[in-house]
Amino acid sequence: MLASISDSVANSELRTWVVYLLSNVPGLPPIVQTVHILALGAVMGSIVFVNLRILGLAVPAQSPGEMIKRLLPFTWWALLPLFVSGLVFIIARPDRYFFNPVFGIKFALLVPALILGLCLHLPSRREPAYWEKSAIRRSLVRSMAVVSIVLWLSVMMAGRWIAYSDYLFW
Amino acid sequence: MSLDEFWDWLQNTDLAFQIGATWWFPLIESIHVIAIAMVLGSILTVDLRLLGLAARAYPVSAVSRELTRWTWAGFILAAITGLAMFITRPAAYADNTAFQAKLVLLALAGINVAVLYTGAMRRIDSWEETNIVPTAAQVAAAVSILIWVGVVLAGRWTGHLQ
Repeated sequence: MLASISDSVANSELRTWVVYLLSNVPGLPPIVQTVHILALGAVMGSIVFVNLRILGLAVPAQSPGEMIKRLLPFTWWALLPLFVSGLVFIIARPDRYFFNPVFGIKFALLVPALILGLCLHLPSRREPAYWEKSAIRRSLVRSMAVVSIVLWLSVMMAGRWIAYSDYLFW
Repeated sequence: MSLDEFWDWLQNTDLAFQIGATWWFPLIESIHVIAIAMVLGSILTVDLRLLGLAARAYPVSAVSRELTRWTWAGFILAAITGLAMFITRPAAYADNTAFQAKLVLLALAGINVAVLYTGAMRRIDSWEETNIVPTAAQVAAAVSILIWVGVVLAGRWTGHLQ
């Protein structure tokens, strides 16, 4: 299954184009990677800071409910440049990613990070103070914040380790 | 001792070997990325607040006071991890055009922030209540965003010139 997806990407015309652009447009690889890192900055500035605020560790002057409503849309929008800039390199070298355990780990961490983000965001959209209304919700949202921060930082770490998977698996 | 001799000595320290030849390098590099994301995420909020594009519900002074400490923490972590990677191949990095550009941009970022905090931000009491951010502070905020984009680009480009 993975092998056939990887093969069809590897043999696609799209890949020919992407590889051509990456090797012929001066600076395109670092530019695309820069887009990826800038979007990570947006993730850090939005969902990670929201969670730091929930834990009482950052920006005490800002209200957590208001922050969730204002900042989580930035997290969701950041996924678009993250996805597109990441996809460029996957298309260029599918076998490097499809058969890389660290790439798998990255997505295994990303999916729960996204689900947790939705669980945090959706109730607050209707009711900004949702997470502050009862002791149970307050302790639940604090636990979610710890897990969310750990997941996002791990996703960023795993992303960088894709290039070094030989150090972990050989 | 000439600079070349110094780089050579640095590269041959036990620490440089420990970092350069083991899993320490990717670990340090991934911490570097997280530290950079922290710098970007915090400084961008302050810059966008100055430009009137983000966190408008809160005073500039509160946003700046509460977020610049995270920018500094991220920056110090990025500097330490950056230095740790630098010593593994100091001569090659010092000679790398993208790396040189990154250092110049970091110096410009330092000048920009010094101008902002010794100028408009120092007089914040006189303008905060009017809710009108001085043009000088807005220019510094826009310049800051551009410089940090440049720092990331030059940093990422450094790896492609090795």
